[in-house]
Amino acid sequence: MSASGAAPGRRAARPVRSPDTRARRQLALMLTPYLIGLVGLVLVPALVTLGMSVTDYDLLRPPTWAGLDNFAALLDDPIFRVALLNSVVFALVAVPLRVLLALGLALLLHRRAAGVGTARTATLLPTAVPEIAYGLLWLWLFNPLYGPINQLLRVGGENGLTVLGRTPPQWLTDPTSARAGIILMSLFTMGETFVVLLAARRALPRDVYEMAAIEDATGWDVFRRITLPLMAPVLALLAVRDAVASLHFTFVPAFVVTDGGPPPYATTYLSLFVYQTGFEYLRYGYAAAATLVMMLLTVAAVLVQWRLIRRYRRFYQV
Amino acid sequence: MTIVRIRSLSALALSTMLALTGCGSGGGLSSGDPVKLLVFGAPEELGAYRTLIEAYQQARSGERIQLIEASDRKDLLARLATSVAGGAPPDLFLMNYRFYGQFAAKGVVEPLDERIAGSSVLDPADYYPVAMEAFRWDDAQLCLPQNVSSLAVYYNRTLFTEYGVPEPTAGWTWNDLVTTATLMTRDDRGLVIKGTEAEGAARLPAVHGLGVEPSIIRLAPLVWSKGGEIVDNPERPTRLTLDSPAARDALRNLIDLRQAYGVVPSDAEVEAEDDESRFLNGRLAMLMTSRRATTNFRTITGFEWDVAPLPVYRQPVGVLHSDAYCMTRGSRNKDAAWRFMEYAMSEEGQRIIAATGRTVPSHMEVSRSPAFLDPDQPPRNSQVFLDAIPTVRALPTVSTWPEIEDLSYGILENAMHRGDKLDDVIRELDAKSRPMFARGENG
Amino acid sequence: MSDGLVLDGVSAAYRDTTVLHEVDLSVARGELLVVLGPSGAGKSTVLRVVAGLEPVTAGRVRIAGRDVTEERPGRRNVSMVFQSYALFPHLTVVENIAFGLEVRDIPRRLARERARAAAETVGCAGLLDRRPGQLSGGERQRVALARALVREPDVFLLDEPLSNLDLALRAEMRTELRALHDRIGATMVHVTHDQTEALVLADRIAVLRDGRVEQVGTPDEIWRTPASSFVARFVGSPAMNLLPADGPLRPRGDAPTLTDEALLEIGFRPEAVALDSTEGTPATVDRVEVIGADAFAYLRLAAGQQVVARVPAARRPDRGATVRLDVRWADTHLFHAATGRRYQP
Repeated sequence: MSASGAAPGRRAARPVRSPDTRARRQLALMLTPYLIGLVGLVLVPALVTLGMSVTDYDLLRPPTWAGLDNFAALLDDPIFRVALLNSVVFALVAVPLRVLLALGLALLLHRRAAGVGTARTATLLPTAVPEIAYGLLWLWLFNPLYGPINQLLRVGGENGLTVLGRTPPQWLTDPTSARAGIILMSLFTMGETFVVLLAARRALPRDVYEMAAIEDATGWDVFRRITLPLMAPVLALLAVRDAVASLHFTFVPAFVVTDGGPPPYATTYLSLFVYQTGFEYLRYGYAAAATLVMMLLTVAAVLVQWRLIRRYRRFYQV
Repeated sequence: MTIVRIRSLSALALSTMLALTGCGSGGGLSSGDPVKLLVFGAPEELGAYRTLIEAYQQARSGERIQLIEASDRKDLLARLATSVAGGAPPDLFLMNYRFYGQFAAKGVVEPLDERIAGSSVLDPADYYPVAMEAFRWDDAQLCLPQNVSSLAVYYNRTLFTEYGVPEPTAGWTWNDLVTTATLMTRDDRGLVIKGTEAEGAARLPAVHGLGVEPSIIRLAPLVWSKGGEIVDNPERPTRLTLDSPAARDALRNLIDLRQAYGVVPSDAEVEAEDDESRFLNGRLAMLMTSRRATTNFRTITGFEWDVAPLPVYRQPVGVLHSDAYCMTRGSRNKDAAWRFMEYAMSEEGQRIIAATGRTVPSHMEVSRSPAFLDPDQPPRNSQVFLDAIPTVRALPTVSTWPEIEDLSYGILENAMHRGDKLDDVIRELDAKSRPMFARGENG
Repeated sequence: MSDGLVLDGVSAAYRDTTVLHEVDLSVARGELLVVLGPSGAGKSTVLRVVAGLEPVTAGRVRIAGRDVTEERPGRRNVSMVFQSYALFPHLTVVENIAFGLEVRDIPRRLARERARAAAETVGCAGLLDRRPGQLSGGERQRVALARALVREPDVFLLDEPLSNLDLALRAEMRTELRALHDRIGATMVHVTHDQTEALVLADRIAVLRDGRVEQVGTPDEIWRTPASSFVARFVGSPAMNLLPADGPLRPRGDAPTLTDEALLEIGFRPEAVALDSTEGTPATVDRVEVIGADAFAYLRLAAGQQVVARVPAARRPDRGATVRLDVRWADTHLFHAATGRRYQP
């Protein structure tokens, strides 16, 4: 940065550009496609959303100014409130579970051993299935009478009950089971998180673990005093990412599998609410306002976790 | 968030594309672009439309129709809205009158009165007025109904014969329906069983007496038949009026089918196998649904089936089911689109689509012809649909009706399957639907 | 002798390759044994086998008279300083040092106290609240040492602990390490590939080659009577000259009785070569390296063999000059050419 400011005269004298300038030009050139994408695919739509949120807009007639009416209406909208609550609860439950599951599997599968390769592949596989197909698959899995999950739960039981004499979960018709089902669905798509954690675990120095072995640290001690703190920055980053993504990856399951139900709105998350409001009821201004709330929620989640990480990072200047 | 982005972007992209092609092509090239027709439906229904289109293209060389298939009703709405916003709408779309209000109110649909008046093929008097009327908005005919259907009770004759239960007949009452359904709910040994015991213990019914979805369109004719009303003012509705004694009774009786008699499959059973599949698989004795199901049921080979009219409380009343061809105001191929509309609505077109079983033709003459009443094609008793026409009433076409239907479906489903308190159900329906009515526009 | 550490016919393998071949070693209590060898000789494996980080494929390991062959690392009461130090980056110095105590459920206060004491022993008491990332290489090394000390183990294992330090610091730490050993009198096994380090530090040196012990002895023994040509050449820099015994160079003085000269090699260190003779073997000076007061002259004999000679820098020959070199029998070592073992006349 300083070079260009410091030597304008020299540059005028020499036609050859300094390597610094060239490097920066190359950088700019390489960043251009990304920046175009960022502006075109993220910034502009975000601004459009912002603009739309203060209008009444049905896509069909020109938008009319609505000021903050949409936001005021959101506050009063019971469906929106349920959707908001559902989304927050989902994030609070699913994100830690996903990260913990991925961590557990990464710690289990980071060593070389027979079958580990297969197990890793199996862990990754659900992530590779296209979302809609994944949803349809679970629709079958969750089928309350004929689905394999409940068939399995009924093994050994009589009259459609489990061995313990209880009704198996009514995945698609009971609100709690349906919410649990959506979380269950989301758990199996933590493949990406798993891969990152696997790489992070494998990058940890081996001798530190040998050191611990010589000091006779138990598995729990090793996990608590070494692995967890060493992986904490990665874990925190993944949790932030997952929390942000959780607002999105509730959409397809709720859309394909539960259709926002069981009634009235057990699995209507913000993403589905936005979709229905916008595309099914043609209330684009209102949907944009809800989208903005979603964005703010995302920003808030990121900020909170960012602060937590910063507090934690003080401990480690590696 | 992503979805909104993608959709608004695709709209953006569409409009860009449109601007480009628009500049190049100018206007009036009917032979160049095919007429785009947006529909949704089950595979059998889509097959029916393809048959119609093929016949049209064969009859009129040079005309081309492109069928655009949406995956379901909601997808169709979303596609229509985004393509209209993007400036590249389909030329025609097929839509139920219950859902066209929002498009009618927003000036998306091209009024057809002038074209009808100038047509040598179409005479509005040939069609059932109740269907034509449903697609009038602000005194303009916006769409042309291809069918005039109503609710009927499909039943599995073979099962009735097997269990020796009398088949439903015209003029049967709600009590008859309950009795019949109770008698037809059987376990796997063929014994009459009470379906309410299914949860918790005992045996599950192998055959259920009746399938009926807890929706406002199923409830409406029952309320009307009892002398009640669904909304306060059918022309300009402001609220649901299920709190009237007649409506309340009808609703309670509907809910009791599950809660008291257990003749209707439980919600888990419906999730596991929807009513139409259940009927197809011979595990449902009766199914209350519209003519739409016929194409699907004609694939049945394992048993004999037929239709009966709706049961009656005080007077026979049906509810209108009707889909119409609508032309978008933004279409750039209106003349060609109109020619297809004329064909589809003509006797010939109506005959072709009627033969597929999909519709009760809106063309009166065709509806009385063998094309519809063909005794060799099930259901034998298609006359039931025609007999119902004089009694059918239409639901409101307020622009927010889709929202109101979705809302009420959730609440009614819980009422039927979870047994929510009737007063709470009615109150919740009213409270939550009022703002939707308030936001709505009427024709 | 057997009080400290005994390796009895220990073999170890990595995947399918045998890395240690029936190694016998014993370290007396309080002794500092240096395991010396080139990289790949299996030095670190010796430590890892003792620590229990690698399994043995044969043989026994005894620590303080106790057979620990089947014990897990934590039960062997050894402590180890890794080449990389293996400090926990997220823990402070004092937490690092106290780690071994805390996981053994020693009360926190006591553990911290002992950690502080250990830190004082190695001179890093001023660093207790820092984190490894804030320490220099030498400081990390001290912390690693303190962590090894704090538990008072039966055996200390040091895996090239000085190799990551710069030369001056290495020399300093070498001296300190030796002083530390003398002060605490602990049994230590120190692995290095640096012969100077070995000679300076060791009570005894074990020279390892290709997973076999080539020689075990005091630094003097290793230097004066190398058991093989390998040891002879590995210890000392530049390496010992090695020529065929019946070759071009004939040492002066009383020759030992040689049974079969053709099968022997004659070895002599660069400092044993004298260049000022008038009658010695002629050679050409290939090049000359001057290192302070000394110079190493690389000479080529007529038959092509190379010989290195150490001469005072002031009297070094010129490059390309012809010199006559001379060695006395008393300064030579004889080895079997085929096996490399020392020949005893």
